[in-house]
Amino acid sequence: MSLLRVQGLTAGYGPVTVLHGIDLEVNEGEIVVMLGANGAGKTTTMRAISGTIARQGTIEFDGRNIQKVGPEVIVRGGMAQVPQGRGTFPELTVEDNLHAGAYVRRDGSGNVAADIQKWLGVFPRLAERRHQRAGSLSGGEQQMLAIARALMSRPKLLMCDEPSLGLAPLITQELFRILERLNQDDGLSVLLVEQNANLAMHIATRVYLLETGRIVATGTGAELSADDAIRKAYLGF
Amino acid sequence: MELFLQRLVDGLSEGSVYALIALGLVIIYRGTGHLNFSQGEMALFCAYAVYQFGEWGIPIGIAVILGMGVGFVLGATAEVVLVRPIAKKSPFAVFIVTIGLFQLLNWLDGSIWGGQQLPNTGVGSKQLQFPSLFPNKPEDFVTVFGADIKIQSLGVIVLELVISALLFLVFNHTRLGLAMRAVASNAESSKLVGIRTSTVLMASWGIAAAIGALGGVVFAGINTNVNLGLMFTVFIYASAAATLGGFDSPVGAVVGGLSIGVIQNMAAGYVEEWVGQEMKVGVALLVIVAVLLVKPSGLFGTAKVERV
Repeated sequence: MSLLRVQGLTAGYGPVTVLHGIDLEVNEGEIVVMLGANGAGKTTTMRAISGTIARQGTIEFDGRNIQKVGPEVIVRGGMAQVPQGRGTFPELTVEDNLHAGAYVRRDGSGNVAADIQKWLGVFPRLAERRHQRAGSLSGGEQQMLAIARALMSRPKLLMCDEPSLGLAPLITQELFRILERLNQDDGLSVLLVEQNANLAMHIATRVYLLETGRIVATGTGAELSADDAIRKAYLGF
Repeated sequence: MELFLQRLVDGLSEGSVYALIALGLVIIYRGTGHLNFSQGEMALFCAYAVYQFGEWGIPIGIAVILGMGVGFVLGATAEVVLVRPIAKKSPFAVFIVTIGLFQLLNWLDGSIWGGQQLPNTGVGSKQLQFPSLFPNKPEDFVTVFGADIKIQSLGVIVLELVISALLFLVFNHTRLGLAMRAVASNAESSKLVGIRTSTVLMASWGIAAAIGALGGVVFAGINTNVNLGLMFTVFIYASAAATLGGFDSPVGAVVGGLSIGVIQNMAAGYVEEWVGQEMKVGVALLVIVAVLLVKPSGLFGTAKVERV
């Protein structure tokens, strides 16, 4: 049932330890949201799970321990990450970005082309700009491209690091609607990092609250909103 | 008219050599952002290797392919053993390392083949008879509009164009090419989509050195000899070609290389009393300065675009 299970995760940069033993879990079909203030360690958690930085602890994904494995191998197992700041290939066209997203697939160019059509259908703004270089897209379009690119690898788990960063509220809402639909229709599991608590709580199956490298609270969105102290401190309403 | 055609073809064939070396520079620069100062010396080492294969009785065609293999191994090894560990510590140090590699290779050539004379200048080094890839006897020419065009020159130009076309296909229509472009654009995201970036960089250095090897062989063939100073000026022109074309553009490297070859030969030929053989370098460099003043990223280079 559990797709991703993280236990006692510690990581940091050089001499600085940022994560002090994180436990979290994503079950199949869940949208799990990680909330926290600036500097709480959200992005570090994502990078530690995807293997972009060195880390200690247990990280089990789809029944396998991936703690010692690099990102280029982890993605082959079905985990795709959309890094903070989009992480597209600015010099490549929209289409080539999507091709690059399918790099690990071995099921033939026909299937890849069909998937490109599918995601261009889901993100029509990208379809209009398919031959443009990604660097010339607007922030919202790049975020959509980054998500579409991640989905091109046909992941079981999609990890998104603050997709709403720098986007207009309407575009953020659209993006979250799409994520919700992918979750419901395709059974895609999602681990989402957000500062935009109100929006994220709505689509979350479960929520983790992160504070200075530790999980301080967990529960469903409704449970956390019901806790007065948590609501005031983190959710701001 | 005859003279013009001859000078044009001579310029293009010399420029083809610059283009081959410049292509290697560009491939490495795109992958890792480094200027490989030893690009010319890698090519020279391979040219010596091809000479050696010839001495052992291997036909020139096969010897050249083997020489490109030597180049690939040399480039790939240099990346894995020297460049990668040092790039992690300091990107700038890589430049110094490639200068060291330049000296090392030249010294190696000298001690194996050249008789340990002044390195890099070729002064006093043994001139070894080099087999030409194309027919180059005095009677091997075709007459076009009254001009005698050497078959060797045409062969070199065609070879360069074929290599460029092949590279274009690899870059734009293969998995490896997509990976190379992705790594050049964003190394961290490349890992996230599953590209083994270290393998791609190793392959880039290998391919660059293999193409350079071909440049070295062709140039040694044009000069009918190989000596320690053969590739030094070629490397300077190739760097100039890459700068003119735009350091991140393979098309630019080819156009830049051919242009510099032609400009040099035209200038030396037509404004002889002003320029002459000795000063033709200066003319090429003047043109480059003029272009860069107008277009700082080179003719085909991309100014970084990034919306925030």
